[in-house]
Amino acid sequence: MFRYDFSQLITPPIIRFDQVSVTAHEKILLANISFRLFAGEKAVLCGKSGSGKSSVLRTLLGLHPLKSGTVYFQENPLTPESVQSIRSCTAYIGQEPILGAESVREALLLPFQFKIHRSHQPTQAQLIEVLQRLQLPEDMLDRDSNRISGGEKQRIALARGLLLGKKLYVLDEVTSALDTDSKQVVFDVFSDPQLTVLSVAHDPEWLERCDIVFDLDAGRLTEVKRHGNP
Amino acid sequence: METLDIKLPQMALLYGLCLLPWLLLWLIGLRLSRDIGVGILRMSIQLALVGIYLKTLFDLNNPWLNGLWILVMLLVADFSILRRAGLKVRYFVLATFIAIASSILLSTAYLVILVIQPTHFYDARYIVPLAGMILGNCLQANVIALERFYSALRKNENEYTTFLMLGATRWEAVRPYFREAVKAAINPTIASMATMGLVSLPGMMTGQILGGSEPWLAVKYQIAIMICIFTSATIASIINLKLSLAIAFNAFDVLREEVIKKP
Repeated sequence: MFRYDFSQLITPPIIRFDQVSVTAHEKILLANISFRLFAGEKAVLCGKSGSGKSSVLRTLLGLHPLKSGTVYFQENPLTPESVQSIRSCTAYIGQEPILGAESVREALLLPFQFKIHRSHQPTQAQLIEVLQRLQLPEDMLDRDSNRISGGEKQRIALARGLLLGKKLYVLDEVTSALDTDSKQVVFDVFSDPQLTVLSVAHDPEWLERCDIVFDLDAGRLTEVKRHGNP
Repeated sequence: METLDIKLPQMALLYGLCLLPWLLLWLIGLRLSRDIGVGILRMSIQLALVGIYLKTLFDLNNPWLNGLWILVMLLVADFSILRRAGLKVRYFVLATFIAIASSILLSTAYLVILVIQPTHFYDARYIVPLAGMILGNCLQANVIALERFYSALRKNENEYTTFLMLGATRWEAVRPYFREAVKAAINPTIASMATMGLVSLPGMMTGQILGGSEPWLAVKYQIAIMICIFTSATIASIINLKLSLAIAFNAFDVLREEVIKKP
């Protein structure tokens, strides 16, 4: 049955890559990539190692200079002036998230030291609530962040994004470090239709749950599969 | 009180003392004759040239010539700092020059004009050795500051990027490495002040005492120079690092690889 989400005609995309090419050390990382991602959509980038998946994520966050094309965030072009606001709206979680603090509590409060978030300090109750949402124990707050498992680190990084009220999540291979229970918790969090996800993953279950699958090969977008809307 | 001269035969005798460590090194199988020879020869020639230049400088005592000497010292220090810190000279030469020149001029001028108050502020006998001593220590501090900062940043690139992604500005994201680098740069001076006189007699004080000064006068000069070294090392390290931030990153706050020398 033909289905089309007509809301996309009036709602601008949250992310838009328009003919984006990126090179580094004379090597082509991305070649003429164009795609759009709308609010609430969950997308995954697939491809072999070195196909440019992580480069798409890094380019979106302004970590790779563009050779040509434009990246848009909420229809505003990515520029040196706009990059900080884009980053502050985005939660980036890598394969091995860096918590950047000694204790879990300090790690959760770290972004609130920065000027842009300083006036939104979370309360103790909010910290506990977010831990519970991610099925982490309350006493986790005072644990040494170097002595927690990789899966727990992923969930703390995710908790940090939730505390900041971020709506866009950029995830680089997050499921690889997660056990079955942690994975389920992460899936539950991202089932929220308000959250938009652009991810890199190989996990078949994760791919199954995403709305859009982008296939990349040698920096080129070779296929776009939309689940439920082929 | 006159300082006793070391005459040429006695100088030859002095060089002879080097035979003892050379022999010991040879006995333990370290063949360093060439390095030792080159080191001693270079030291002797360089100091002889400095001696000739300083003698001329002191005899003429011309403010422009004295200023030119300080400028040459600053330029040599500038290149030396960047080479030793592993940064490319063409990118940072101006920033480092501004940092060391402003801090050296400030502390030397403060010391000479306000504290020592010689008849002429440009008196070579004061400004040349004092600026040289302050600059030498300032150089060490700046090498440590730049080297520590940029190697910490490269080592912790993921952490730095995480801070940016959490909404930090460039300054907020580099601040932990900045603080550590400044601390590492000034720690040797603070430690040296804390142990001064207990572990060893400082070089300048020893020199003054040998030159016939009263120990109290030598002590006062040593305190003055240490305070100026501490002041200029701190100021220069902070200014240098701060100015380098505008050069070493692109407009998206990413460290430019091309500004750092490949190891």
